[in-house]
Amino acid sequence: MGNQGMTSASADAKMAAINKKFRTTGMTTGALSGLTYGIYTVLVLVAGYYEPLASAAGLLAGPYVLSGLNDLFAGIWLTAYNAKSGRLREMGRSLNTFPGKMIVIGSILGGPIANGAYLVGLAMAGAYAIPISALCSLFGAIFAWIFLKQKITKRVMVGMLVCVAGAIIINWTKPEGSDNFTLGIIFSFVAAICWALEGVFSTYGGAMIDTDVAVNLRQLISGIVDLFVILPIVGGLGLLGGTLTAGIPVIWLAVAGLSAAVSFLCWYKSNSTVGCAIGMSLNVTYAFWGVFFCILFLGQAVTPTIVIGSIVIVLGAIVVTMNPLDLFRKGV
Amino acid sequence: MLLPARTAVLNYLYGVESADIAQIMGALKSEYGSERQFTKDRYMDHVMSLEANGLVSLQSYDLDEKGDLRMRYAINDDGKATVDKYVDKKYRK
Repeated sequence: MGNQGMTSASADAKMAAINKKFRTTGMTTGALSGLTYGIYTVLVLVAGYYEPLASAAGLLAGPYVLSGLNDLFAGIWLTAYNAKSGRLREMGRSLNTFPGKMIVIGSILGGPIANGAYLVGLAMAGAYAIPISALCSLFGAIFAWIFLKQKITKRVMVGMLVCVAGAIIINWTKPEGSDNFTLGIIFSFVAAICWALEGVFSTYGGAMIDTDVAVNLRQLISGIVDLFVILPIVGGLGLLGGTLTAGIPVIWLAVAGLSAAVSFLCWYKSNSTVGCAIGMSLNVTYAFWGVFFCILFLGQAVTPTIVIGSIVIVLGAIVVTMNPLDLFRKGV
Repeated sequence: MLLPARTAVLNYLYGVESADIAQIMGALKSEYGSERQFTKDRYMDHVMSLEANGLVSLQSYDLDEKGDLRMRYAINDDGKATVDKYVDKKYRK
């Protein structure tokens, strides 16, 4: 009896330890996904400062060269990672299932559409685009209400209003000398909406598929669609050739691709361990990191509207996706 | 073509009342055993993620003969509905 009691006590202790490890992993990966997405944002902006990208004509060619190469590089990094852990065959298997096909739809919404719009937004509105795109958590809650029949609670409602207030603060004063500022903000909204839809599709499809494999598919598909479907349509193939031969921006994009790969790997992992709500609210801290790094490394002007607006949006996004007190609550 | 590993775990649990990780791996060994991804850590991650997504439930846990933790999982109604909807009948045993 005494022996049995001891055994069950140590089983309890081991179970608690495993649960704690699982939860800690989810929190850590969620926070890391935000940090690395902030890093990715700055690296892509840096790559865009080099010729021929800096003086590229047209609205879409530059952002899609950046976005396509970045996602393709991220896909290649992830393929290497999954090959190392013996999961290459999982990709074909996943594509063969209905949830896998949902992930493909999510990739196209989140990659070519949202990421493209995000980069067009960044090109036009600078760092102001970053926190606006973080409104994806707000749209995520709305779509979850419409498509997944999840109720919007009072807390979510308050968080949404805080987000909207943040967006208004950011837009309050236009930075001088940027003609396309408002258009850039509109593109950032498109990014936010399509990322939220990606969240819905990948939640719908992702539960039964290894998240590391799902992310790999997402980045490869996104890169391939950007470079081989969208670029020819927007007339950007010449720019792609010029960028590839220029060399230096490609190196920046390979590093950006690595940080995007780590970010998505961590984000999907976090969503599947601590749940989409907490995962998403930790992920949107990228808005803070992105603005912070832009101020630190790229000479982004520190204005009260961008600082206050970013902080308000990140706080609002956290309130939308979770009860902030849960972060400090012990256990599961 | 085989199911993705995580789907295969859920599909296996559909056909049994409950199983621990060693039993799940034993049942899938003939198909997935030769792959580098066939490790206890990864299968533990599969079941715990399925649990976090609300498709399986932890039923009980104790220590095995070696003193290692043994967790038993069972598929729940949401998990069953998911398998019914998305996994072709030919994969059920």
